[in-house]
Amino acid sequence: MKNRDSGLNRWIFESFTITPEGLGLLRILTALMLLFFLIPGGGTVHYHFLATLPADFYAPPPGPMMLFDTFPGLAIFQVLQTVAVLSALMILVGYHTKWVSLITGLSVLILQGFIFSVGKIDHEILVAVVPVILAYSNWGAAFSIDSFRKGKDQKNERWPLTLLALLIGFMMFTAGFPKILGGWLDISTQAAQSHLLNQFYVRERQDLLAELAVQWNNPFFWELLDWGTVLFEVGFLISIFRAAWFRFFVGIAVLFHFSTMISMNIAFLPNFIAYAVFLNWDAIYKSSHQWMMRWNRNNFRKSRKGVLISFTLMLVVFFALLNYITVHEKVITLQSDLMLYEVVLVSMAVVILLVGGVKCLGRSPRGFGTANSSSLHPLPPEPCNSN
Amino acid sequence: MKKRSIVRLFIAVMIFLPIQYAVVGIVGEMHSEPWPAFVLPGFKNVYVSDDDLFQIEQKRFVIEIEGQPKVEILRPQDLFPELPLSQVPGFMRTHFSGRSDVERLSEEARSFLYQQASNHLQTEPLMIELRIEIENYRFVDGVPILESVDQLDRIPITLKPEYSNEK
Repeated sequence: MKNRDSGLNRWIFESFTITPEGLGLLRILTALMLLFFLIPGGGTVHYHFLATLPADFYAPPPGPMMLFDTFPGLAIFQVLQTVAVLSALMILVGYHTKWVSLITGLSVLILQGFIFSVGKIDHEILVAVVPVILAYSNWGAAFSIDSFRKGKDQKNERWPLTLLALLIGFMMFTAGFPKILGGWLDISTQAAQSHLLNQFYVRERQDLLAELAVQWNNPFFWELLDWGTVLFEVGFLISIFRAAWFRFFVGIAVLFHFSTMISMNIAFLPNFIAYAVFLNWDAIYKSSHQWMMRWNRNNFRKSRKGVLISFTLMLVVFFALLNYITVHEKVITLQSDLMLYEVVLVSMAVVILLVGGVKCLGRSPRGFGTANSSSLHPLPPEPCNSN
Repeated sequence: MKKRSIVRLFIAVMIFLPIQYAVVGIVGEMHSEPWPAFVLPGFKNVYVSDDDLFQIEQKRFVIEIEGQPKVEILRPQDLFPELPLSQVPGFMRTHFSGRSDVERLSEEARSFLYQQASNHLQTEPLMIELRIEIENYRFVDGVPILESVDQLDRIPITLKPEYSNEK
């Protein structure tokens, strides 16, 4: 019993390790992803449309949204959006990080609730779940106003990462299990291909390589894809028990979403905010810090500040530019509902995976960093070389 | 949080997740998928049969315009352009699955549809009809070819008199 308990404890508390600095960078990325791309709804036009929809079209899914009879007015949507934006901004600067993370999650969830009450749920709950769970990791312990207010000896927690892995693993399982019941493993029909055709002809998702994929009628290939999809989604649940396995499956998920994006024009960007949590943030911090140390002649504090400023600025400029060219259709115009920023971000995730991740994905970062490491502790050893 | 509380939280979550999944399955069968829930879409349907026949259901709004002999045919996303495309099929399934859904529409909802059509076409529609069809594709040399179209239903969506007078 004791062994079982300690096994459970080890899984909960030691599966994933991350330093306050790593969490700080993750917090900044998450906040910026929310601010630029993931606050639910397409802005005022979408909210105005929902606010003017007659009550006939209010079809809340079973759950708390049934407490309402119709869509709220535009003002309520705008208040919710403002709360989400302000709280995400506070996550960015790390001010009262825990509480604003919870408020962000809640406001995103309520916005999603109304948006999904037209009669269709988009499965984007991870956008709300990530800030809520990471609120308990103390991700405001470094690179934040909180770290100035409360001092630099704050501890961060590892278990929220395990909890998030558990949720992702289970949710992936719920995507795979119905496929088994629905006949995806029946070799006489090719389910993935039929979904591709459905997306192509019914939803007119015909961008990128969709046309090429539609004309690719190789039953063996499509059947392989059916089986591969089911095994990958169901197997995700098993992977949560080892950090290295889980990261491997997250890597496969990135490739999986990339392939559905280029063939079916479905990017599923909301999932990427959760996948990004499992990037090796300590390695990212370490390599950027080392680079800054060379730049700043080994001035530790100055280099640390340099990492914060350069990382944030780089993301802000990149995301702002990406948003601008998407909204103003400056580069290409996509005919489907796929957004240019989705194409770029998902493709970048693949590049990050292939270039930087392959070496690290298969190895556990166990022994790397400590749960209680403070922000001024010496830099952790190179994770890719540790076992 | 204390370590013991966290372990209890994990145990509770591990018990909760399968139970909520079962609830999602049961409620989903009886009504529709509950929300919020820790689930991802299953896409369990298989739309193609083993004799290479592929069927898809299409819903179109056919708009009659006064003084214009030819009707305008609008896709759902034309009539509801503000709705994300990912939600359009679900929206149509929920509110326009067939004759009974259309008959239940209130005057306000009908007026809203006419206004949407008017916004899109920049003219006043005389009559809107919902047309439900099945398109049958068959793979010929690896390419899906439209073989036939079966019309399932044609449902007029009329305005109530008081709204007609207003217009």
